[in-house]
Amino acid sequence: MTLSLDRRLFLGLAGAAALMPMRGRAATPFAFQASWINDAEFAGYFLAADNGYYTAEGLDLTYLSGGPDVIPESTLITGRADLTLTTPDTTIKAITEQGAPFKIIGAQYQKNPLGIVSLAKAPINEPKDLIGKTLAVPPVNVISVEAMLAANGITRNQLTIVPYAYDPTPLIRGEIDASVDFTTNVPYTIKLAGEEATSFLLYDHGYTVFNDTVVVTEDVLASRRGELVAFLRASRKGWEENLVDPAKYPPTWADTWFAGTGREIDNEVFFNTAQKPLIEAEGGIFAMSEDAIAANIEALAKVGIAATRDHFDTTLLEEI
Amino acid sequence: MAIRAILALALWELVGRLALVAGGALPAPSAIAIRFWADRGDYPMHVWATMQGAGIGFLIGNLVAVLAGVLFAVSPVAARLARGVNIAIFALPAIAIAPILTLMTTGMTPRVILAALGCYFVTMTATVTGITQADARMRDVIRAYGGGRLASLRLVELRSAVPQILGALRIAAPAAVLGSILAEFGGGGRFGLGAYLIGSLGRADPARLWGIGLAATVLAGVGYAVFAMIAARVTASTVAVTVAATPPAGDAPRPLWQRAALAAGSVLLPFAVWWGLIAASGAPAMIAKTPMALVDYLMLPNKAGERILDALAQTLPITAVGIALGLGFAFALALGSVLRPGIVRAFMPVALVTQTMPLVALTPLLVLIFGRGPSVILWITVSVTFFPAFVTMAQGLQMVARSALDVPRAYGASPWTVLRLVSIPASAPYVFAALRLAVPRALLGVMTAEWLATGTGLGNLLNQSRGYLDYGMIWTVAVLSVLLSVFFYQVVVWIERRVLARLGMTTAA
Repeated sequence: MTLSLDRRLFLGLAGAAALMPMRGRAATPFAFQASWINDAEFAGYFLAADNGYYTAEGLDLTYLSGGPDVIPESTLITGRADLTLTTPDTTIKAITEQGAPFKIIGAQYQKNPLGIVSLAKAPINEPKDLIGKTLAVPPVNVISVEAMLAANGITRNQLTIVPYAYDPTPLIRGEIDASVDFTTNVPYTIKLAGEEATSFLLYDHGYTVFNDTVVVTEDVLASRRGELVAFLRASRKGWEENLVDPAKYPPTWADTWFAGTGREIDNEVFFNTAQKPLIEAEGGIFAMSEDAIAANIEALAKVGIAATRDHFDTTLLEEI
Repeated sequence: MAIRAILALALWELVGRLALVAGGALPAPSAIAIRFWADRGDYPMHVWATMQGAGIGFLIGNLVAVLAGVLFAVSPVAARLARGVNIAIFALPAIAIAPILTLMTTGMTPRVILAALGCYFVTMTATVTGITQADARMRDVIRAYGGGRLASLRLVELRSAVPQILGALRIAAPAAVLGSILAEFGGGGRFGLGAYLIGSLGRADPARLWGIGLAATVLAGVGYAVFAMIAARVTASTVAVTVAATPPAGDAPRPLWQRAALAAGSVLLPFAVWWGLIAASGAPAMIAKTPMALVDYLMLPNKAGERILDALAQTLPITAVGIALGLGFAFALALGSVLRPGIVRAFMPVALVTQTMPLVALTPLLVLIFGRGPSVILWITVSVTFFPAFVTMAQGLQMVARSALDVPRAYGASPWTVLRLVSIPASAPYVFAALRLAVPRALLGVMTAEWLATGTGLGNLLNQSRGYLDYGMIWTVAVLSVLLSVFFYQVVVWIERRVLARLGMTTAA
């Protein structure tokens, strides 16, 4: 009932019939929960859906948008989605501490785009610069930041950590000294507001973990393996095509995928361009090399998250 | 009035243009209007989505409320049994249950539920009041002609309740809009003013945040105006605008054991409802916690208890201070309004905006002005508790009998003396009514501020637990905040009964 309401809304208001899940003959329903609102972070999936790559693989895709308050893993547990994108630290913490039945079957970002963003006129260039400063951190990323601080020999009480609500205004106004955000995105906004931003990745300072890890429940992994491989294959195809020219596709989604987000298309092009080196992988998009997995396990161990090789399943990637 | 509004706008424009507040984070009205015009293509779909959630919730919530009101008016036992549930619904801080709703349900459902919850209490109490205050002589007429309870209900009582119910619908309409928006923050839908606001937070564009906030205010205001108009047409009579804060008592002298059984039932019923809903939802046990599962969770060696106590130690004192300040300010202004009625009119627009402007939009601005210390929590708490308390107390002061005021005046007393001797003592029931209204709102304000600004206390614990998928903690904080609200409510009621009994007064709605 709720789904039909949403669809009517799409039709009546956005006039975006193209957004309707593609209905192939005998296509299998497959629900994908994104980890954020519709922006360039999901360009590969938008392209794959628009070009019918999922339909060609026999999937009837339902795309669920995320947002700051959507915890993607929760939709897997309630069975609302078959597959989602997560931050590996929270996912593995949920596995080890609460026995959540998750498996990581791929990684969109080989390098986590999360970074410390500050203004160029008062730059924070490395972790040590944070000492004595005020850093705004989204509550979900507090563990990631603690990991990075620990890797650099900084204790938490050497700086002030306040909540970050994804609003760069406090940074621009100088109320905080730095924030933790996607370096692929927020520098554009800051520039638009008339300031210059500088940033460094947590990844480059000891927090060597993936982001937007592709996560499923063990149940789905066992019962829908074929569809999962099909999803990965179609999505990889969408991503590869999108990254050939990051400026090409975002403008075509202005009235469909990006309708009503209140963000400029230029911003999405900036994002899409900036994320290219973080996504591309030697083993193909979503790859998880043994070295990278080992680096993840090592980094997470520093904050007491006992990740093991078992939490990552690379066998589906081999089947693409 | 028009001149005053223009003056206020001009002042705001000046403040915005010169970037006087928070380094320009308070945009000028013209900047907001320009931004709004640029964004005009975005608004229809978001406004429509919010109206859908609010509208469906409004219908369901009020339907249930009227049915429940009739039941409680007819059956005092049912009223007594449901007292616990009613207080819990009245007191539950939406911020605490929104995350649970968005975990357990999907799509429009969380919006509809929060909107419906926002409507229920006001309309239910109005229905009960309307029915019980029906003209006894008209009831007698029905009875004399052999009409039964149902005939009396249909022909007299429900009709006499119509003005009361319409009055409640005026208040329920904006409440439904706010409920829907609140659920949109966490609901993950693409459309709705709340979703738009969240999506726009990252834009560093205060003019848009204000535009969205004002659009929400207008939507809530239109809801109020529509039902105010209908009420005026239908009844042509005035009804108090105060928000009821008392569930139907439904008492008659009963043997002690019966009273004890009803009281116990009333306490247990909310827990039974909680348990039943979880069983009915069929949600997995990892996410949906029953009361027993929470007890188990707290027994785990995960320091949950310690973290909760730490958070409480941060949240409770500041909540108490916030209530005291909010009520003190409201009381002072209510007294001032007796001496100078113009004050009320001047303050109303500001107060209305602080009521309907989503806190998520207002908080970043307040952070820029007041920083991230305890003062920002206090400001937010005062801003959410002040308005309803002020309206309630100002009305109480205005309802003091003319003849009582005339006595000291005739003896040449100054306005201050009249206030001290008559108005202030007479307003006692309204102070308590305001206090009952303020408690759950204060907790809502403190938790929102902690969540968004300071990163301390219960609000932060709730937010962080969501990030860590710590479902046991999410439920614990939600349940705890409801229990706290109910507990304080009961404490206020207890004190109120004793004080008013000494003063020879009765409880105000």
